Amino acid sequence: MSVLPYAVAAWLFGIGLYGIATSRNFIHLVGCLGVCQSATYVLLLGLGYRWGSIAPIFYDHPPGTPAVDPVMQALVLTDIVVGATLTALLLVLTIQAYKRGGSLDPEKLRPMRAVGQSGRDRGSNRVGDGERKAS
Amino acid sequence: MSPNARIVLLALAGLVLLPGAAAVIAGLPAFGSTIAQYGERINAVAPEARHVANMVSAINFDLRGLDTLGEEFMLLAAITGTVVLLRGRRGEGNTERAMRRPGRAVIPRSEAVVLACRIAGPLTALFGLYVVLHATVTPGGGFQGGVILASGTLLIYLGEGYAGWRDAIRSHWLDALEGGGALLFALCGLAPMLTGAAFMQNILPLGTFRDLFSGGLMLVENLGVALAVTGGFTQLFLEFMEETREAREPEEPGEESA
Repeated sequence: MSVLPYAVAAWLFGIGLYGIATSRNFIHLVGCLGVCQSATYVLLLGLGYRWGSIAPIFYDHPPGTPAVDPVMQALVLTDIVVGATLTALLLVLTIQAYKRGGSLDPEKLRPMRAVGQSGRDRGSNRVGDGERKAS
Repeated sequence: MSPNARIVLLALAGLVLLPGAAAVIAGLPAFGSTIAQYGERINAVAPEARHVANMVSAINFDLRGLDTLGEEFMLLAAITGTVVLLRGRRGEGNTERAMRRPGRAVIPRSEAVVLACRIAGPLTALFGLYVVLHATVTPGGGFQGGVILASGTLLIYLGEGYAGWRDAIRSHWLDALEGGGALLFALCGLAPMLTGAAFMQNILPLGTFRDLFSGGLMLVENLGVALAVTGGFTQLFLEFMEETREAREPEEPGEESA
């Protein structure tokens, strides 16, 4: 029973990772990354918890009352803020990929080329295009 | 790589990592039994030493203020990247006016929606300000309050429509808020050095415990964070909303009469 929060965190991370690996849509992929990240919230808050403790705010309770770990809560706060902005940045990259490639599928992502070098042949479906290095 | 190959690779990696993860989880302290010494010491020392009641704010703005400075600039970098990527395609000149989605009718809002937004909007802003100002006393702080304030601006969009929202929200004010907040935080770190103190040392009077004005320099840093988060998140909303509008194409002028 005492490992349940950690197991929940590991499970969340696992299903998020599975979603990322099997994703066929960039927006779905960003959502899966959010699931992975929520595993870190559960892990951090679980690590900082102690039975019978109050929140680390000594307003209603005098200082010295047993409180949970404030460092973990500050870390989760950082985690959430950075996660939110990172999600926005990734969604913008998704928009860019869709505008350039016309698809949200990671499988159909092609290497970017310099504009004007070979015309607009992004839509062509050549086999082995993904292997080629953009030089 | 085919989807099947990816799943096989993931399963193999999982099998390799599973014993390690199990060992780490088994080695963690039992849930709820004890907390780390560092947090325990902060809980014991910080109310006395910094006169603040909110330990999370004490860590974010004072004890580990340097880390928050890094986070602040991470926020700035992510939002700048978002804005540059979106505006880079759309062009800077288009951000000044409310663009219209071609071919979509403007549906009039019901009076109930407008009234609800006009009541809830100021209340949300007030609540956000309350959360920001009481950072060192009760749960809250610049990050949380800033996000509430930014969400409050969306009620303007809901109640007044897109053009009304764009009238109320000025893009370069948001740039100034965001950059100014980060600058204020950095200056809070540098200003104590002028007096010979250490970087981000709390040199202002600490105030009284459980009072609104407690924590000294933390209040200024908190304000900087609140400005940066409010400006940054509103800027994100704005840029994403603008993305749903299409730029008026110069070659088809009849399109914009929707």
